[in-house]
Amino acid sequence: MIKLTIDGKNIEVQEGTTVLKAAEATGIYIPTLCSHPQLTPYGGCRLCMVEVEGAPTLQPSCTLPAVNGMVVKTNTEKVMKARKFVLTLIFSERNHFCMYCPVSDGDCELQNRAYDEDMTHWDLQPNWQPFNVDASHPYIILDNNRCILCRRCVRACDELVGNYTLGFEERGADSLLVADYNVPLGESSCISCGTCVQICPTGALIDRQSAYQGKETEVEHHIGVCVECPVGCQRDVLTRDNRLVRIEGDWDAPLNHGLLCEKGRFLPLEDDRDRILTPLIRKDGSLKATTWEEALKVAAESFNNEKGLAAITSTRLPAEDMALFKSIFGDNLKADLVTTLEEGKPTSSLAKMAEKLGKSFETSLESLKDTDAVLSLELDLVDDYQVAGFFIKRQLMNGTKLIVADSKDNKLAEATTMRFPLTSGEEADFLTQLLDAFENSSENPALIEIVNVLKESEKACIVYGEAFAANADETAITLLLNLAEKINARLIGVKGNANSMTAAQLELEAPINVEECQAAFILLGDEDPSQKLVKTLEEVPFVVAQTTYRSQLTGKADVVLPVAMWAEQSGTYLSLDGKMQKAIKSLDAPEGVLTSREVLQKIAKSLSIEPNMDWKASLMKRMPTVQIQEA
Amino acid sequence: MSKPTVASDWLCGCAGCHMSLLDIDERILQLVELVDLRATPITDLKEPDKEGVTVGILEGGINNTANEEVAKRMRERCKILVALGDCAVFGGVPAMRNFFGAESALKRAYIEAESNDTEGKIPSSPELAEMTRVHALHEVVPVDLFIPGCPPNADVIFYALSELAQGRIPEIKDDKLHWH
Repeated sequence: MIKLTIDGKNIEVQEGTTVLKAAEATGIYIPTLCSHPQLTPYGGCRLCMVEVEGAPTLQPSCTLPAVNGMVVKTNTEKVMKARKFVLTLIFSERNHFCMYCPVSDGDCELQNRAYDEDMTHWDLQPNWQPFNVDASHPYIILDNNRCILCRRCVRACDELVGNYTLGFEERGADSLLVADYNVPLGESSCISCGTCVQICPTGALIDRQSAYQGKETEVEHHIGVCVECPVGCQRDVLTRDNRLVRIEGDWDAPLNHGLLCEKGRFLPLEDDRDRILTPLIRKDGSLKATTWEEALKVAAESFNNEKGLAAITSTRLPAEDMALFKSIFGDNLKADLVTTLEEGKPTSSLAKMAEKLGKSFETSLESLKDTDAVLSLELDLVDDYQVAGFFIKRQLMNGTKLIVADSKDNKLAEATTMRFPLTSGEEADFLTQLLDAFENSSENPALIEIVNVLKESEKACIVYGEAFAANADETAITLLLNLAEKINARLIGVKGNANSMTAAQLELEAPINVEECQAAFILLGDEDPSQKLVKTLEEVPFVVAQTTYRSQLTGKADVVLPVAMWAEQSGTYLSLDGKMQKAIKSLDAPEGVLTSREVLQKIAKSLSIEPNMDWKASLMKRMPTVQIQEA
Repeated sequence: MSKPTVASDWLCGCAGCHMSLLDIDERILQLVELVDLRATPITDLKEPDKEGVTVGILEGGINNTANEEVAKRMRERCKILVALGDCAVFGGVPAMRNFFGAESALKRAYIEAESNDTEGKIPSSPELAEMTRVHALHEVVPVDLFIPGCPPNADVIFYALSELAQGRIPEIKDDKLHWH
């Protein structure tokens, strides 16, 4: 332990702690700009200067390690004067006129720090050098005129995301934040995760969608789990007057620590699908507006006529809704088909293995954060489940080895030389060859390299996706488990949609076969129907669609029940690694639109069904592939 | 003892700060009990008294030789000079033109403007003041008190003026400190 004194307080900290962290731990405030809790210290802005006894000059506390006997002062006249001077220099370097800027008045850390120092003005005027504004990106505007050269964005892109898109060109006052080798951001290697925008302390990186739409003082925050995929990132949905303003990653979230991807951050605000605002019934060939009573009555009649009934749900809905769906259509109505739009493809083979073994064999996504070798099997973590991909990509510079075995083009494979092309459906052969190479070596140099990497690793992870799960039979999964055991690797199964694991727990995994079905109930929620689904339903005489948006499905449906979209409902989601997390209602649904759960309850009532409401117990019945952790 | 005197003027601004001054509404009656309001752009007397005033208030930055003259005259004739609003404090919106030059601003306004139905012509006459770079007030004359804001809130203006009227220098900080 290190003992030091800050502002007269005696403090004990671990060796390696910076003076800034030591001060924060004791509740002593030192203003910062370039420092960020998720980034390694950089010492660029000099705002956190402190006086250290014996040191000839002021020292930046963010990069200064605490040492024994150190005497630090954070609020002397010399320090205060330096702070104002540092701020004056930053303000006078570029265009920091707040009245031109959307983050002014609450959302700008630079302005807030100046307010803290009671700065009514600054003494130096800028040199009026204009920089070009880069508005080439669909979501992000990069304005070098407002940049304070703190490099938070560059460090976030490198250290947190592992994408290495942003960098600096030139030196000193001419320093320019650029993408790649100074190409427009919109044409660069940027993957639109938006971390740079979220971490920028000024208005140098802003997003088009939320600029001027609402400041911190005007918005409401709703922190909950992201429902765009099963990684289970926590996000903060900012709203104003029942309108989405912006989505940010939650810096305090234990898994994603502020990170999100394009799907979780930007795409939900681009949604311009046509909303259905009233129940509809098909009369004389076209859909006509009707009342909830009428629509529910017609729907319920079609469920109850004892002819073939198919009930299919989305896996993007809360666990409560899916359990209710199963109780009504499976346990009570005993429909001929009760399944999900995914037909259990991402989960069922593995879930059956867990049942057979009587134990869970997959592990938490956190394992990816400190792995030394990753084998990615039939899964592209650049295209999908991006945040899990960030965990891998950002470690590659530090020596983590990546092996990609895929039957398709794989963007994650661009980050490694160890690629192994598979033939879809023959994953078991690959695993057999690999296991064989462990025992008897191999003539294939690629396999030998993979074996060597895996043999040397101490914390290997094997990640696999739907394409593996859908093809894998018991043999393939047994081989996978053998491999994992041999190299002591942790297994992570990436599962389809936000609540695919709930579907697996509810055993909603039958293949869709609607032959001889006279009616179908499609609980689509805010998903888009696939072409395949629409085609399949062509042979079903009567279709009830419970959905948010107009689509090809509603074009075919006989009854349409309009429901809330993701932001208008709360509910529970099981992440791919078994974390039970809540999605939080952020907006009120339009009048006349109900949540999926409310509609299911109404359906149950009109059929005089008392559904099982203990959704949690229903989830816990089956042995899960990964241990379920309740929040 | 006679009441302290106050004079104001506007330079390269939009008059919005003076409008915000008027937004103190009926409190102006309290103010005139404490001070003698002399020359302002919105009263009959236009130039600060030669004998001088206690407080001089200037709105707007300085963008030509005429504004420079007005600023210098106010500085000479007042004891305490107040820079009122973001334009006086920083240069404000007019200072945007410093990034691309007065010439191109004139060209844009008088020749390239979409509303021009004829060829357009940049006004030029020896009577017109010479355009300069847009300056914050404190770049041209020493300033004693800065009240930023675009415009400063009426409550802040009332607070500042009543403090000055009672011989104190107001503290512009916390809730009273806003740059726009």
